[in-house]
Amino acid sequence: MSALTRRTAISRGPAPWLRRERPRLRGGRRVRIGLLFVSPWVLGFLVFYLYPFFATLYYSFTAFTGVGNPKLTGLANYSELFHDPLFRTALFNTFYYTALEVPLSTVVAIGLALLLNMNVRGRAFYRTLFYIPSIVPVVASSMIFVWIFQPSFGVVNSLLSDAHIQGPAWFFSIAWSKPTFVLLGLWGLGQPMVIYLAALQGVPREMYEVAALEGAGPIQRLRHVTLPMISPVILFNVIMSLVLSIQYFTQAQVIENPAGSPGTSTMFFVIYYYQQAFQDLHLGYASAMAFMLFILVLAVTIGLLKSSSGWVYYENEQQ
Amino acid sequence: MGIARPQVISKPLPPLPPAPPRPRRAPRKLGASAVKHLVLITVGAMFALPLAWMLLSSVKSAGQTLTFPVVWWPHPFVWDNYPRVLSSLPFGRFFLNTFLYCAVTIVGVCISSSLVAYGFSRLRWRGRNSLFYVMLMTLLLPFVCTLIPLFILYKHAGWIDSYLPLEVPTFFGSSVFSTFLLRQFFMTIPPSLSDAARVDGANEFYIYSRIILPLSKPAMASVILFQFIYCWNDFLGPLIYINTESKYPLSLGLALILGDYTTNWSWIMAAAAVATVPIVVLFFLTQRTFIQGIAITGQKG
Repeated sequence: MSALTRRTAISRGPAPWLRRERPRLRGGRRVRIGLLFVSPWVLGFLVFYLYPFFATLYYSFTAFTGVGNPKLTGLANYSELFHDPLFRTALFNTFYYTALEVPLSTVVAIGLALLLNMNVRGRAFYRTLFYIPSIVPVVASSMIFVWIFQPSFGVVNSLLSDAHIQGPAWFFSIAWSKPTFVLLGLWGLGQPMVIYLAALQGVPREMYEVAALEGAGPIQRLRHVTLPMISPVILFNVIMSLVLSIQYFTQAQVIENPAGSPGTSTMFFVIYYYQQAFQDLHLGYASAMAFMLFILVLAVTIGLLKSSSGWVYYENEQQ
Repeated sequence: MGIARPQVISKPLPPLPPAPPRPRRAPRKLGASAVKHLVLITVGAMFALPLAWMLLSSVKSAGQTLTFPVVWWPHPFVWDNYPRVLSSLPFGRFFLNTFLYCAVTIVGVCISSSLVAYGFSRLRWRGRNSLFYVMLMTLLLPFVCTLIPLFILYKHAGWIDSYLPLEVPTFFGSSVFSTFLLRQFFMTIPPSLSDAARVDGANEFYIYSRIILPLSKPAMASVILFQFIYCWNDFLGPLIYINTESKYPLSLGLALILGDYTTNWSWIMAAAAVATVPIVVLFFLTQRTFIQGIAITGQKG
């Protein structure tokens, strides 16, 4: 490397003042050195992302059990998917969970961040308290929630019965299982909350002062100053939480026994995928599911990005 | 693992802005402040209840956990639950496996992410930004889209039932979050520093290893911390690749407890506490590093 660098010291190509940066390195060499540094990731990308992605796409057109060669079957897996009632259930459950979890966690996380951003006593304490659940191991938090929402001896139903409410069976009720998973998700929203908090602290104080001078009340300030100013962060968090919700798996796998129960009320997309791939060894069929999931995530992300020009405010653009 | 990573990447806390001096309050403001506190205390209690209930339940007798309405305060305290649940399964092994998994991936992430981050920040070359965006896009790719071919690949390599499928990718920049964090940090180091070294004839690897890395200890500390928490909490990766019980990490061991002792809630909660308390203590000890971490990732660039 040192030899290479020394050779480039001899000035070649256009006059030094024409070249903007790194006067001693020409384009081609710069690309080579840059690629050398990022080569671990490039190799990893090719082997752990690009190849398996296209292999999944290929398997999705085959019948494959993992032994022997995959047999090409055209679009059979996809047409089977469209007629599979359990796949439809899995799609429905995933949409149900996502439609509850994403808006609720966004509103609650922003709400908590707004509270923490105000001048209240003990906010460092509250910030730590709201954040800690998000670092609790996911298996442990699942165990804790099974226990506090236990139908017969759980603390939540005990508190409800103090208020003369008969609590449901939560994780073990077809109607309540998905909302209970949403509650578990809300408990761990510390990460988006601190990201919103950081964004709120980046809003210039003068903007609030100007708004207040012009007679804007707290609600108007929230609508016309705070939310537009943090809208890029909202977009980022909503995309991340959508992508994660669509792939919801671990908690449902730990908590429900058998996975997907009660009934098929927690048969989420990836739970069904996991059963098809690793229990039934329908690898071709599971690959088709995986590719459908990719299309779904892609569509949702593109849709959000397209809509974002309507509601996301970028400071630099407007000035 | 696409799904697990963003979940457990523990975004650290931003520093609080300096609190403005408290003006003497008008009565109406006092009312508003009371409402704020009421909301904070209520929500705070809801956030604290699950952990408090875990700790309380973990020292109750089996009989005290099976009453309705519930008994709030354990009487007597049954500390014995902890040694008994820990000896019911080879938890020593599980801890050791988890620590090894953490240690190897920390080495992998520190080496590969810092090299890649250097290429994405301290060097300017055509195609750099496009490649960087490709790297960020991989965060959106669902993990199931690559899982089956990777599993088959690892099976041919004889890696199934070992930690290699989880460890080896970290040496190839699989931790996008760490790379991003280090890149953001590297960008804050003045370019003149590298230029001065280049004038003196230093090559890029020398600048990376002797100038940039020593200046990046705080960022590396954040990366190590996040990677440790990620591995400690990881369930999905080991679930897919580890089959033999003696090779289980803590997370899979815990899931065994939940399956084996379905009614012994004090044991289950003691096991949950064993996995949770160390990570919470670690969080309290390293809050500063957490704060630095988010300050770095929050920078624009």
